[in-house]
Amino acid sequence: MAAGVAAWLPFARAAAIGWMPVASTPMPIPPQDKRKAQDGLIILNVSGTKFQTWRNTLERYPDTLLGSTERDFFFHEETNEYFFDRDPDIFRHILNFYRTGKLHYPRQECISAYDEELAFFGIIPEIIGDCCYEEYKDRRRENAERLQDDEEMDMNNDVTPVNLTFREYLWRAFENPHTSTLALVFYYVTGFFIAISVMANVVETVPCGTLPNRSKEISCGDRYALAFFCLDTACVMIFTVEYLLRLIAAPSRYKFMKSVMSVIDVVAIMPYYIGLVMTDNDQVSGAFVTLRVFRVFRIFKFSRHSAGLRILGYTLKSCASELGFLLFSLTMAIIIFATVMFYAEKGSTASKFTSIPAAFWYTIVTMTTLGYGDMVPKTIVGKVFGSICSLSGVLVIALPVPVIVSNFSRIYHQSQRAEKRRAQRKTRLARIRAAKIRGTNAYMRYKQNGLLIDSLEEASKEAGQALVGKAASPPFESQHHHLLHCLEKTTNHEFVDEQTFQANCMEISVMNKSGSRASSLSSSPHGLSSCCSRRHRKKSSFSLPSTNNQELSTIQIRERPVVNSRSSLNAKLDETVPLKCDEPYITPSMVSLSAPVVTSSDGDSSTTTTAYSQSNIVRVSAL
Amino acid sequence: MNLVTNNHFVSLSPSLHAGSIADEGELSTVCYRPEGLDRLVQQTKFSKKELQVLYRGFKNECPSGVVNEETFKNIYSQFFPQGDSSMYAHFLFEAFDTHNNGSVSFEDFVISLSIILRGSITDKLNWAFNLYDLNKDGCITREEMTDIMHSIYDMMGKYTYPSMKDSAPMDHVDSFFQKMDKNNDGVVTIEEFLETCQKDENIMQSMHMFDNVI
Repeated sequence: MAAGVAAWLPFARAAAIGWMPVASTPMPIPPQDKRKAQDGLIILNVSGTKFQTWRNTLERYPDTLLGSTERDFFFHEETNEYFFDRDPDIFRHILNFYRTGKLHYPRQECISAYDEELAFFGIIPEIIGDCCYEEYKDRRRENAERLQDDEEMDMNNDVTPVNLTFREYLWRAFENPHTSTLALVFYYVTGFFIAISVMANVVETVPCGTLPNRSKEISCGDRYALAFFCLDTACVMIFTVEYLLRLIAAPSRYKFMKSVMSVIDVVAIMPYYIGLVMTDNDQVSGAFVTLRVFRVFRIFKFSRHSAGLRILGYTLKSCASELGFLLFSLTMAIIIFATVMFYAEKGSTASKFTSIPAAFWYTIVTMTTLGYGDMVPKTIVGKVFGSICSLSGVLVIALPVPVIVSNFSRIYHQSQRAEKRRAQRKTRLARIRAAKIRGTNAYMRYKQNGLLIDSLEEASKEAGQALVGKAASPPFESQHHHLLHCLEKTTNHEFVDEQTFQANCMEISVMNKSGSRASSLSSSPHGLSSCCSRRHRKKSSFSLPSTNNQELSTIQIRERPVVNSRSSLNAKLDETVPLKCDEPYITPSMVSLSAPVVTSSDGDSSTTTTAYSQSNIVRVSAL
Repeated sequence: MNLVTNNHFVSLSPSLHAGSIADEGELSTVCYRPEGLDRLVQQTKFSKKELQVLYRGFKNECPSGVVNEETFKNIYSQFFPQGDSSMYAHFLFEAFDTHNNGSVSFEDFVISLSIILRGSITDKLNWAFNLYDLNKDGCITREEMTDIMHSIYDMMGKYTYPSMKDSAPMDHVDSFFQKMDKNNDGVVTIEEFLETCQKDENIMQSMHMFDNVI
């Protein structure tokens, strides 16, 4: 994390001199710089373009290709340089990452080419700096969507897989009509019937000539009532069957029933059934007639057949606030002008402007430049204000409309971006937390390693073998960890990660309740918790209070298994320790106890301090 | 050449080239260039190569050639992500900024580093004393020490074992005064400080720990 300021580590370490006089405990030993690396220049030849940098710059990130020994595979002896047969333009950014600690994404590069290069050089894309991260993620998502669309198209063109259940098959047929012929037929049939139904609703109101013994013209619907009724029944039957089939096939019936389309379906067929149920009664027939209006909602069923309608509906929904503002400003103007016109025309005789609400109609008609002419001002003042009204109407209507239109696109894109950002924010915060935890864990591991390596050194010296430590962490890392360790020693507190801290808090409260007294080895349960709580988070830290007293009274000294093979010495710490860290045993190598200091369970810090200063307890990781 | 003596209040008055570019009322960017490498080699106990490495790192983080307190705090906080290192960084900045002009140039930086890393024990102890003595009046009072202690403990952050008590810094201050203040007058003077530290094995040993940092 601090690798970007690696050059300032010597300063930070030197500044630690301020802790020395106040520290009461001895400081840990600094890591040895086993190799006093000559800081030489490295030449990186990437497809003919030569880059040069310091060796130390590359080694800041040892888990990448360039920072580890993996680059030796690319060493070209004849020319004494490292040759990579990759894109030099993208490599420039990768090298800048080593230099500045920030990875940038060049906007003009193709996202998949960039990803490939990152993968080749072993750099995880998550560390892209804030300035370029959004762009990177956006491009990546677009790319992924494009790939997914391609896949979907391919999938839809494939032969349907056999192992779909009937229900899934049905749903798929409804959602993607072009998957099978039957679905296509059904799609067109329903479309046809929607059109028929809508046209029937329209036509049945057309006057159709007179009956022979009546003088009044009647509508076609009344004349051919039976025919229209049969047509309506057929349509409703088709729609009902379709709705039921969709309901059956839907993967989540509750979700389906809540969706807009299903509501439209229900509203479209309800009037018919209600009409069937209701008797031909004069009182309810008025209500019945109103219900027939809802039949026109069938036209919205077309939105399943037309993507454009869906998009329009969505954009209207998302621009609701802008539309609302337009409506509000219009209302204000209307009220103002209606009031003015009313009072202006009050004096004239036989004025149509009988009230302000009556003047609303005039104002709306004038402002939208319709000008029906059913209401006109007669007084001069009225005409003056009327002309002002119509002129301002042009402005009031014409100005917001382009704003609305541009707002449509702006708000549409903005909402998309805001959603993306919100979704990204969670993951980014999680990223940052994970990096912090990684740092803390790395530090914990360092402390384990420090002690492990010491004990391994002793073991291997006994066994008479050369020490091959674990894959050496870079000098910067180990120095940084040593610095943190010094701070711990100065303040007599240790860094722990969040979970352990909370577990400890709970443990302390548990111990408080049970009122047990911790004995003088207050440091050893700590050693337990710090080492083993990472492995068994909840297990050991809760079992600690109970096993504490027994464990401590009899220190179990186990033979440290003699490590014979180089392979296990070589193995990373993560692999070896869990094997042995099954139970929280203590294997002390040097434990010198002070006189038993009975500390209360919540560890009065001052007595802990004295306990620390008096005893030289070396905490060894439990092996 | 003799390094700065015990009294490092002597200002060396390095000559700085200040180039300012003022363009039509824009913010003028001031660039400080340090003196020649050779003069710095004379003034400090670093070799040429070490100074080169130091300057490259310095310039990388502060392209303008001086560090102001914000940058200082920012850099220092990257080493201590768990806690809040801003107070301690502030005290450090005060200690490094020997000319009290609000910025640390490369000379100040390197000279202080030279004392810390390559100076004699007395020099180092003097520097540490100067760090603690916030108002630079020659003695450390309880309040000053409390501030320093709080700043150090703040760097630990919240997640510690054992849990950080509010009294922990105060207790530490008490034990410090108990150890250092020989005549119990409530302040620690430079003589008491030097004397006590030179008698303490741990402190002596830890003073040499960072000698090979560069």
